[in-house]
Amino acid sequence: MAITASHIEQEIHIQAPPEVVFSFFTDPVQHPRWIGRQAKLDPRPGGIYWCEVDDTHTVVGEYLSVEPPRRVVFTWGFAGNDDVPPGSSTVTVTLTPDSGGTHLRLVHTGLPHPAVDAHDQGWTGYLRQLAATASA
Amino acid sequence: MDAAIRALAEPRRRAILELIRNRELAAGEIAAHFDVTRPAISQHLTVLREAALVTERRDGARRLYRADPAGLLGLKQFIDSLWATRLAKLKDAAEADAATHPTKGR
Repeated sequence: MAITASHIEQEIHIQAPPEVVFSFFTDPVQHPRWIGRQAKLDPRPGGIYWCEVDDTHTVVGEYLSVEPPRRVVFTWGFAGNDDVPPGSSTVTVTLTPDSGGTHLRLVHTGLPHPAVDAHDQGWTGYLRQLAATASA
Repeated sequence: MDAAIRALAEPRRRAILELIRNRELAAGEIAAHFDVTRPAISQHLTVLREAALVTERRDGARRLYRADPAGLLGLKQFIDSLWATRLAKLKDAAEADAATHPTKGR
Protein backbone atom coordinates (compact mmCIF):
# COMPACT_ATOMS: atom_id res chain seq x y z
CA MET A 1 0.00 0.00 0.00
CA ALA A 2 3.02 2.27 0.14
CA ILE A 3 3.21 5.31 -2.06
CA THR A 4 6.64 6.48 -3.12
CA ALA A 5 7.68 9.17 -5.52
CA SER A 6 7.58 6.96 -8.57
CA HIS A 7 5.57 3.82 -8.01
CA ILE A 8 2.78 2.03 -6.22
CA GLU A 9 3.30 -1.33 -4.58
CA GLN A 10 0.65 -3.60 -3.13
CA GLU A 11 0.69 -7.12 -1.74
CA ILE A 12 -2.12 -9.46 -0.78
CA HIS A 13 -2.44 -13.11 0.20
CA ILE A 14 -5.11 -15.07 -1.66
CA GLN A 15 -6.25 -18.52 -0.58
CA ALA A 16 -6.38 -19.86 -4.13
CA PRO A 17 -3.71 -21.42 -6.36
CA PRO A 18 -1.67 -19.16 -8.68
CA GLU A 19 -3.37 -20.73 -11.74
CA VAL A 20 -6.75 -19.46 -10.54
CA VAL A 21 -5.44 -16.01 -9.60
CA PHE A 22 -3.56 -15.71 -12.89
CA SER A 23 -6.77 -16.21 -14.90
CA PHE A 24 -8.17 -12.99 -13.43
CA PHE A 25 -5.49 -11.04 -15.31
CA THR A 26 -5.86 -12.77 -18.67
CA ASP A 27 -9.40 -14.11 -19.03
CA PRO A 28 -11.96 -11.50 -20.25
CA VAL A 29 -14.73 -13.37 -18.40
CA GLN A 30 -12.85 -13.44 -15.09
CA HIS A 31 -11.45 -9.90 -15.34
CA PRO A 32 -14.75 -7.95 -14.81
CA ARG A 33 -15.32 -9.96 -11.62
CA TRP A 34 -12.70 -7.83 -9.91
CA ILE A 35 -12.22 -4.70 -11.98
CA GLY A 36 -14.25 -2.81 -14.54
CA ARG A 37 -17.44 -3.50 -16.41
CA GLN A 38 -15.91 -5.20 -19.41
CA ALA A 39 -12.50 -6.12 -20.73
CA LYS A 40 -10.82 -6.94 -24.02
CA LEU A 41 -7.74 -9.00 -23.33
CA ASP A 42 -5.26 -10.59 -25.70
CA PRO A 43 -2.74 -12.08 -23.27
CA ARG A 44 0.43 -12.36 -25.34
CA PRO A 45 3.30 -9.90 -25.77
CA GLY A 46 1.97 -6.97 -27.80
CA GLY A 47 -1.64 -8.05 -27.24
CA ILE A 48 -4.23 -5.52 -26.06
CA TYR A 49 -5.16 -4.92 -22.42
CA TRP A 50 -8.38 -2.89 -22.44
CA CYS A 51 -10.75 -2.40 -19.54
CA GLU A 52 -13.72 -0.10 -19.07
CA VAL A 53 -13.51 0.76 -15.38
CA ASP A 54 -16.53 3.09 -15.15
CA ASP A 55 -18.24 5.94 -17.04
CA THR A 56 -15.16 8.13 -16.98
CA HIS A 57 -12.20 5.76 -16.81
CA THR A 58 -11.13 3.35 -19.52
CA VAL A 59 -7.76 1.67 -19.14
CA VAL A 60 -5.77 1.06 -22.31
CA GLY A 61 -2.49 -0.80 -22.52
CA GLU A 62 -0.81 -3.89 -23.87
CA TYR A 63 0.72 -7.04 -22.47
CA LEU A 64 4.50 -7.01 -22.33
CA SER A 65 5.05 -10.41 -20.76
CA VAL A 66 2.72 -13.32 -20.00
CA GLU A 67 4.21 -16.18 -17.98
CA PRO A 68 1.42 -18.31 -16.49
CA PRO A 69 0.95 -18.81 -13.66
CA ARG A 70 3.71 -16.71 -12.10
CA ARG A 71 4.06 -13.32 -13.73
CA VAL A 72 2.21 -10.94 -16.02
CA VAL A 73 3.33 -7.48 -17.13
CA PHE A 74 1.20 -4.96 -19.00
CA THR A 75 1.26 -1.26 -19.82
CA TRP A 76 -1.50 0.86 -18.37
CA GLY A 77 -3.07 4.31 -18.86
CA PHE A 78 -6.41 6.07 -19.10
CA ALA A 79 -7.96 6.87 -22.49
CA GLY A 80 -8.15 10.64 -22.94
CA ASN A 81 -6.06 11.41 -19.88
CA ASP A 82 -2.95 13.53 -20.43
CA ASP A 83 -1.46 12.72 -17.02
CA VAL A 84 -1.46 8.95 -17.50
CA PRO A 85 -2.08 8.37 -21.24
CA PRO A 86 -2.63 4.84 -22.61
CA GLY A 87 0.47 2.71 -22.34
CA SER A 88 2.40 5.24 -20.26
CA SER A 89 2.81 3.27 -17.04
CA THR A 90 3.60 -0.38 -16.34
CA VAL A 91 1.96 -2.92 -14.05
CA THR A 92 3.90 -6.01 -12.99
CA VAL A 93 2.02 -8.75 -11.16
CA THR A 94 4.02 -11.55 -9.53
CA LEU A 95 2.33 -14.63 -8.08
CA THR A 96 4.20 -16.85 -5.64
CA PRO A 97 2.81 -20.07 -4.11
CA ASP A 98 2.42 -19.46 -0.39
CA SER A 99 0.83 -21.58 2.37
CA GLY A 100 -1.45 -23.43 -0.03
CA GLY A 101 -2.48 -20.17 -1.67
CA THR A 102 -0.86 -17.32 -3.53
CA HIS A 103 1.12 -14.29 -2.52
CA LEU A 104 0.28 -11.54 -5.03
CA ARG A 105 2.58 -8.59 -5.48
CA LEU A 106 1.54 -5.74 -7.78
CA VAL A 107 3.99 -3.00 -8.72
CA HIS A 108 2.78 -0.05 -10.76
CA THR A 109 5.65 2.05 -12.16
CA GLY A 110 6.00 5.05 -14.44
CA LEU A 111 3.23 7.09 -12.83
CA PRO A 112 3.50 10.87 -12.71
CA HIS A 113 4.60 12.35 -9.42
CA PRO A 114 1.69 13.01 -7.11
CA ALA A 115 0.20 16.45 -6.99
CA VAL A 116 -0.70 15.84 -3.38
CA ASP A 117 1.12 13.60 -0.95
CA ALA A 118 -1.19 11.79 1.41
CA HIS A 119 -1.02 8.45 3.16
CA ASP A 120 -4.68 7.96 3.74
CA GLN A 121 -6.22 5.11 1.82
CA GLY A 122 -9.40 5.59 -0.08
CA TRP A 123 -11.82 8.27 -0.87
CA THR A 124 -13.96 8.39 2.25
CA GLY A 125 -11.06 8.53 4.66
CA TYR A 126 -9.45 11.26 2.66
CA LEU A 127 -12.69 13.20 2.44
CA ARG A 128 -13.02 13.06 6.21
CA GLN A 129 -9.45 14.15 6.69
CA LEU A 130 -9.94 17.12 4.37
CA ALA A 131 -13.23 17.95 6.01
CA ALA A 132 -11.56 17.93 9.42
CA THR A 133 -8.82 20.20 8.11
CA ALA A 134 -11.39 22.46 6.54
CA SER A 135 -13.48 22.80 9.69
CA ALA A 136 -10.52 23.17 12.07
CA MET B 1 -5.69 22.32 -2.88
CA ASP B 2 -7.00 25.34 -0.95
CA ALA B 3 -9.98 25.54 -3.28
CA ALA B 4 -10.74 21.88 -2.57
CA ILE B 5 -10.55 22.38 1.18
CA ARG B 6 -12.78 25.43 1.01
CA ALA B 7 -15.24 23.56 -1.19
CA LEU B 8 -15.34 20.68 1.28
CA ALA B 9 -15.89 22.90 4.30
CA GLU B 10 -19.60 23.00 3.48
CA PRO B 11 -21.38 19.82 4.72
CA ARG B 12 -23.90 19.77 1.90
CA ARG B 13 -21.13 19.84 -0.69
CA ARG B 14 -19.58 16.82 1.00
CA ALA B 15 -22.98 15.10 0.83
CA ILE B 16 -23.23 15.93 -2.89
CA LEU B 17 -19.76 14.45 -3.49
CA GLU B 18 -20.73 11.24 -1.71
CA LEU B 19 -23.90 11.07 -3.81
CA ILE B 20 -22.07 11.35 -7.14
CA ARG B 21 -18.97 9.48 -6.07
CA ASN B 22 -19.72 6.41 -8.18
CA ARG B 23 -22.40 7.63 -10.56
CA GLU B 24 -23.15 10.46 -12.91
CA LEU B 25 -26.28 12.50 -12.15
CA ALA B 26 -28.02 15.54 -13.62
CA ALA B 27 -28.31 18.65 -11.44
CA GLY B 28 -32.06 18.07 -11.03
CA GLU B 29 -31.51 14.51 -9.85
CA ILE B 30 -28.94 15.74 -7.33
CA ALA B 31 -31.32 18.47 -6.12
CA ALA B 32 -34.05 15.87 -5.56
CA HIS B 33 -31.90 14.34 -2.81
CA PHE B 34 -31.73 17.54 -0.80
CA ASP B 35 -34.18 19.87 0.82
CA VAL B 36 -32.77 22.99 -0.81
CA THR B 37 -33.52 24.99 -3.93
CA ARG B 38 -32.22 24.00 -7.34
CA PRO B 39 -30.20 27.24 -7.70
CA ALA B 40 -28.51 26.48 -4.37
CA ILE B 41 -27.48 23.05 -5.69
CA SER B 42 -26.22 24.63 -8.91
CA GLN B 43 -24.13 27.02 -6.85
CA HIS B 44 -22.63 24.13 -4.86
CA LEU B 45 -21.87 22.26 -8.09
CA THR B 46 -20.11 25.32 -9.50
CA VAL B 47 -17.89 25.54 -6.42
CA LEU B 48 -17.11 21.82 -6.60
CA ARG B 49 -16.36 22.02 -10.32
CA GLU B 50 -14.05 25.01 -9.90
CA ALA B 51 -12.21 23.09 -7.20
CA ALA B 52 -11.78 20.21 -9.68
CA LEU B 53 -13.70 17.90 -7.38
CA VAL B 54 -16.42 17.12 -9.91
CA THR B 55 -16.52 16.82 -13.67
CA GLU B 56 -19.35 18.25 -15.76
CA ARG B 57 -20.49 16.68 -19.00
CA ARG B 58 -23.16 17.96 -21.37
CA ASP B 59 -25.67 15.49 -22.75
CA GLY B 60 -28.02 17.48 -24.98
CA ALA B 61 -29.74 20.01 -22.75
CA ARG B 62 -28.69 18.21 -19.58
CA ARG B 63 -25.54 18.71 -17.60
CA LEU B 64 -24.29 15.62 -15.84
CA TYR B 65 -22.05 15.67 -12.80
CA ARG B 66 -19.74 13.14 -11.29
CA ALA B 67 -17.17 13.26 -8.51
CA ASP B 68 -13.62 13.30 -9.87
CA PRO B 69 -11.52 11.20 -7.53
CA ALA B 70 -8.36 12.16 -9.42
CA GLY B 71 -9.01 15.80 -8.59
CA LEU B 72 -9.46 15.06 -4.93
CA LEU B 73 -6.86 12.46 -4.21
CA GLY B 74 -4.22 13.20 -6.73
CA LEU B 75 -3.92 10.69 -9.51
CA LYS B 76 -1.57 8.36 -7.69
CA GLN B 77 -3.71 8.18 -4.61
CA PHE B 78 -6.65 7.43 -6.85
CA ILE B 79 -4.82 4.61 -8.63
CA ASP B 80 -3.45 3.27 -5.35
CA SER B 81 -6.90 3.16 -3.83
CA LEU B 82 -8.25 1.63 -7.07
CA TRP B 83 -5.77 -1.27 -6.82
CA ALA B 84 -6.42 -1.71 -3.10
CA THR B 85 -10.17 -2.05 -3.49
CA ARG B 86 -9.92 -4.14 -6.66
CA LEU B 87 -7.32 -6.56 -5.32
CA ALA B 88 -9.56 -7.14 -2.32
CA LYS B 89 -12.33 -8.02 -4.77
CA LEU B 90 -9.98 -10.27 -6.76
CA LYS B 91 -9.13 -12.10 -3.54
CA ASP B 92 -12.82 -12.74 -2.84
CA ALA B 93 -13.53 -13.95 -6.39
CA ALA B 94 -10.42 -16.18 -6.64
CA GLU B 95 -11.06 -17.71 -3.22
CA ALA B 96 -14.67 -18.40 -4.18
CA ASP B 97 -13.42 -20.18 -7.34
CA ALA B 98 -10.83 -22.15 -5.38
CA ALA B 99 -13.51 -23.26 -2.92
CA THR B 100 -15.73 -24.44 -5.77
CA HIS B 101 -12.92 -26.23 -7.62
CA PRO B 102 -10.49 -27.13 -4.84
CA THR B 103 -8.29 -29.44 -6.88
CA LYS B 104 -7.74 -27.56 -10.10
CA GLY B 105 -7.18 -24.10 -11.51
CA ARG B 106 -8.91 -22.65 -14.52
